[in-house]
Amino acid sequence: MEDEKKGTRLSRRSFLKGIGGGAIGTAVISTGLVKSDSAEGYSPETSGAGGNRATITLKVNGKAYRVEVEHRSTLAEVLRDELGLTGTKIGCDRGECGACTVIINGHNMYACSQLAVWMQGKDILTVEGLAKGDKLDPLQEAFIEHDGPQCGFCTSGQIMSGKALLMKNPKPDEAQARRGLSGNLCRCGNYNREVAAVLAAAAKSS
Amino acid sequence: MKSFENIDVKSVREAVSLLQKFHQQKKSAAVVGGGSEYLQLMKDHVVEPDYLINLKSIPGLDYIKEERGGFRIGALAKLVEIEEHPAVREKLLILSSAAGEAASPQIRNAGTIAGNLCQRPFCWYFRSSNFTCLRKGGQVCYTVTGDGRFHAILGAGPSYIVHPSDTAPALVALGAQIKIAGPTGEKMIPLEKFFVLPSVDYKRENILNPAEIVTEIFVPTPKAGSKGFYHKVRERLAWDHAIVAVATIVESSGSVVRAARVVMGGVAPIPWRAAKAEEFLRGKRIDEATAKQAGEIALEGAKPLKDNVYKVKMAQDLIQRGLLASA
Amino acid sequence: MAQAPKEYSIVGKQTPRIDAYERVTGQAQYTGDLQLPGMLYARVLRSNVPHAKIISIDTSKAEKLPGVKAVIHHENAKVPWSSGGHTHRRYIFNNPVRYVGDPVAAVAATDRHIAEDALKLIDVKYEKIPHVLDANEALKPDAPKIAPNGNLSVGKGAFSAPIEESWGDIEQGFKDADRVFEDTYITKHVNNAQLERRVSIAKWDAGKLTVYASTQGVSNARTDIAKDFALPLSKVRVVCKYMGGGFGNKNQAQDYDYMAAMLAKVAAQPVKLEFTREDDYIGMHGRWASEQHYKVGVKNDGTITAVSLDAVTNMGAYRKQSGNLSGTDFYNIPNFKKVIKPVHTNTVVAANYRAPAYPQSVFGFASFLDQVAFELGVNPLDMFMRNRAQKSKGKLPFTSNYLEQCILEGSKRIGFSEKWHKPGATAGPVKHGIGMALGGYPFRPGLGAATIRVNPDGTAHVLVGVTDIGTGAKSTMAIIASEALGIPLNQIQLTNGDTDVTPYSVGESGSRTTAFTGPAVVAAAEDVRKQIFALASAPMKSKPEELDLRDGQVFRKADSAQRIALGQIVKDSGDLIGRATTNPNFPKEMDGKCFSAHFAEVEVDTWTGHVRITRYVAAHDSGAILNRLTAESQIKGGVVQGIGMAFSEELLIDKVTAIPINPNYRDAKVPTHLETPEVEVIFVEHYDPYGVFGGKVVGEPPITAAVATIANAIFNATGKRFKELPITPDKIVRAVQV
Repeated sequence: MEDEKKGTRLSRRSFLKGIGGGAIGTAVISTGLVKSDSAEGYSPETSGAGGNRATITLKVNGKAYRVEVEHRSTLAEVLRDELGLTGTKIGCDRGECGACTVIINGHNMYACSQLAVWMQGKDILTVEGLAKGDKLDPLQEAFIEHDGPQCGFCTSGQIMSGKALLMKNPKPDEAQARRGLSGNLCRCGNYNREVAAVLAAAAKSS
Repeated sequence: MKSFENIDVKSVREAVSLLQKFHQQKKSAAVVGGGSEYLQLMKDHVVEPDYLINLKSIPGLDYIKEERGGFRIGALAKLVEIEEHPAVREKLLILSSAAGEAASPQIRNAGTIAGNLCQRPFCWYFRSSNFTCLRKGGQVCYTVTGDGRFHAILGAGPSYIVHPSDTAPALVALGAQIKIAGPTGEKMIPLEKFFVLPSVDYKRENILNPAEIVTEIFVPTPKAGSKGFYHKVRERLAWDHAIVAVATIVESSGSVVRAARVVMGGVAPIPWRAAKAEEFLRGKRIDEATAKQAGEIALEGAKPLKDNVYKVKMAQDLIQRGLLASA
Repeated sequence: MAQAPKEYSIVGKQTPRIDAYERVTGQAQYTGDLQLPGMLYARVLRSNVPHAKIISIDTSKAEKLPGVKAVIHHENAKVPWSSGGHTHRRYIFNNPVRYVGDPVAAVAATDRHIAEDALKLIDVKYEKIPHVLDANEALKPDAPKIAPNGNLSVGKGAFSAPIEESWGDIEQGFKDADRVFEDTYITKHVNNAQLERRVSIAKWDAGKLTVYASTQGVSNARTDIAKDFALPLSKVRVVCKYMGGGFGNKNQAQDYDYMAAMLAKVAAQPVKLEFTREDDYIGMHGRWASEQHYKVGVKNDGTITAVSLDAVTNMGAYRKQSGNLSGTDFYNIPNFKKVIKPVHTNTVVAANYRAPAYPQSVFGFASFLDQVAFELGVNPLDMFMRNRAQKSKGKLPFTSNYLEQCILEGSKRIGFSEKWHKPGATAGPVKHGIGMALGGYPFRPGLGAATIRVNPDGTAHVLVGVTDIGTGAKSTMAIIASEALGIPLNQIQLTNGDTDVTPYSVGESGSRTTAFTGPAVVAAAEDVRKQIFALASAPMKSKPEELDLRDGQVFRKADSAQRIALGQIVKDSGDLIGRATTNPNFPKEMDGKCFSAHFAEVEVDTWTGHVRITRYVAAHDSGAILNRLTAESQIKGGVVQGIGMAFSEELLIDKVTAIPINPNYRDAKVPTHLETPEVEVIFVEHYDPYGVFGGKVVGEPPITAAVATIANAIFNATGKRFKELPITPDKIVRAVQV
């Protein structure tokens, strides 16, 4: 049983690798949840044998990924562990630090606080999806010029909150920029730099 | 997080009937809107439902509609939508402000109005997997012997939680009503009656029965000549709950108060309406002295714990400030 | 002002980080981002009682859970953790357990959810032992004994206990004083709270252990692991390419590295052990709390004649680091005595957090000096200027000292003299105030190593053992290499943080990377330049010593028009290798220090207790600045950490159960964008003769003065002295109510 499980995990990854490198823009097929086991008689002793799983389609950075997940897996876990999109970090796993911030249907949200199974049919944008080919997003360029990252662990989240802000308000003032980023902690304390980068990106895009 | 089954429902009726079914089968089930808050409780093993009923899949429950006499807000309307809605901002400014003060942008983007009203306490004993407190079925409220610096000074005992919602005090001040759907149909009640004191039941924060869900909030538009105020005191300016919050609405004619509502957050297990202070204000002119007196009346009967005596003065001052700003 | 010996090409400029692209695109691979084939996930079970003997541990149910591959605990994994404890032997699992959070078991399973489920199936039976949480209580004779020798932590080596230091004649100093003041200041345990949770991935290949760690020092982590697993250094590889912050508590090898290694051994599969955020708050250490009792003798004009400090520092259940308090370092104190008692309690362990011995004692001492100035009717600016450090420990000269300029330039920038007013003098509920304090950090060079390879096309590889915890150390090493080699930065590739590949580095702690590894990079560059000039000698028809290299061009010093591109010179020479292990020092009769003077303006709402910092100026003497961009970021960040310590951060422990109640970002209240003012940075630049390119220290200093600066500004605003951290709204409201 356990070996079987390992097998499916490995094959799932190689499958994903296939579509990741292949044709872009696979149509998103909205499927109903595939319920594997009934939850009846659940106990921790049996959850290891599979628990509640579902096969879902996630649309991330314009690509469709078909992936089998546990119901209890968060979007952040699936992005990182299953899709290999590790730019999204997990700092607290409680929706308190912002390192996992992604943009869902145009709004910045904590990916640790959304179940992957809730994400079908949504447009998910992660830090990996910002650059257009080799061309960085102006906000990424501004983060480089203004020294946005110190340790860099919160940087993806800061950038995604900054991006969501600029999508909504292309010309924020400083107070708006701070407020827009206020759900993102930076323990290196590089807040001045991150705000400066957002303002610089806004100025650049005029 | 314990394993559970997520069920996306397509209608309120489906949600209610599933809740009823699981309740009858003695299985634990919970509903989620935005999910941000509830998932944290699950991760910390505070709640461990077998079934999670996802309401976000119900179409059309996120409306904000202005109608004659007030606003109808669907249960799934997001906090950010309430904050930024132009008509809400114009006519229900304190609700817009309160929604905008909640947690962080990411949570306001995901969090719903119903979720904000139904959230569980953020008491550190309640939220910790290491404490089986009174509210979680244990024997004691640890606040009594422990650290209650952020806890209740009014209406508490045997549990000392404070209600964490930002929008609740604003909505109660506005005289909002809440619509609840259950197995026997829908009912609309004043939001004020929605919340439950621990002396009535210390294991719950509201009157919802196991098969009931919130579907709508109705907020009457304040009468012309009304002015409102919402202020939240906290340690951190983002992602922090109120130490004390005050929502006031003052309806005046000339400079005389016709009616006033004074509601506090962060001081009691429910949004705390200072009815005596409201009564006191009727027919008065608001000046420094009456505002101060109203604050003192509002805090009459406060029974602070050893660590939160400071809240009494803070709330008095804030009410004074609020009333002067709303005059 | 001491001048740099020559014009630099890149040193001293604003240079974006060499790995900024990777960090802004999500491509930077932090330890937790790595996945190895067949990798298991692990979680840790911790004690929920403060002091107890483990009578039994039953893991059978957990082991039967499908997917679980290994369960380890004190009975089957008795691994010593040398760097985890300095006063008594500490294991990765201890029996008895000595605080709520002491690891009891670890589980590896096929995914993290199963590992977490399994923790709930482990049945531990404890026999409780009396416990003590308060440091003063712990020193009483009848207190429960936490360490074999009692609770006054007796150290080894440098960590003798109590820590005692004195010079001059303390009794005479107090006799010489016109006035003598005494008071007590209290600071709390604050977690480092770096964004990256602790994580370690371990795998074994034919007896060789590889640990992908999240460590500030790959070299010292390797040394620790090899020692505790009884392996030769050649059989241990530690890798850390990107690191998500540590601020002192990720140096060396940690218990989670060892647990991952043990689990990987038992399961015969690679294991990734991840801490939760709660694990990070309670399972790893934060800044030691302190109670500081000062006695200060002064002349009527404010001149200090003597200072004594008696203090206890709460080190928690195990002693990992010094427990010292050094905030008096930045003052001229002719007669001095301190006695500091590091104490064991049944609480979370305390150890290094950015400038370990400083911000808490700078808060204490600079607050107290500000208070003494007030009592004497002396302006604080005069008080700090008058008593600023001019010699170390009352006698040794500093290698360089621009503290006076820091005070002058910073106070001028903020307008201290014009804005300072009688404390509490402003009317209305919202009070304005201004405050200042002095800070800094020791500077000394030390052991480092570097290898530089010049490729046949004239580009270069720099190999250094450094990790970059966010300071920009990788960029600084590349800048030093570029400057020292004469090869443009964009033609330099830097490889770091892999003990199989890169040479020794001290570990990125104590702000030592530039001072320790920097000289080795310079020496390795000189080594390879000699080889280049020897090769160039023939084609350039010159003696090697007549040649120079800049911007990738070899040229004659006498006539820079005669030049050949480096790639031409070395194209047929294979790889040229320059290398160096260096261990510079400065003379014994000198001391090194960098200095700072910080200034803040605040607005205090006495009704809500809310404090807003309206302006902040940080003036620093860090010698020459190698990269202004990243150095300024360091200063800004240190101030922000100081803001958290001043206003909100404290690990709270329930007094009855001994359980920490706020081990998370929400309740520990790490500062956000909204509490942070624009931090204006002034560098008083000069060339320190013992620093690499004249640079001293940047990373640690900025947090040191921040807390006291803010506290002093609050005093100026309210007229109330806050002697206990953090200065929360409830304390302010209570103080002004009186």
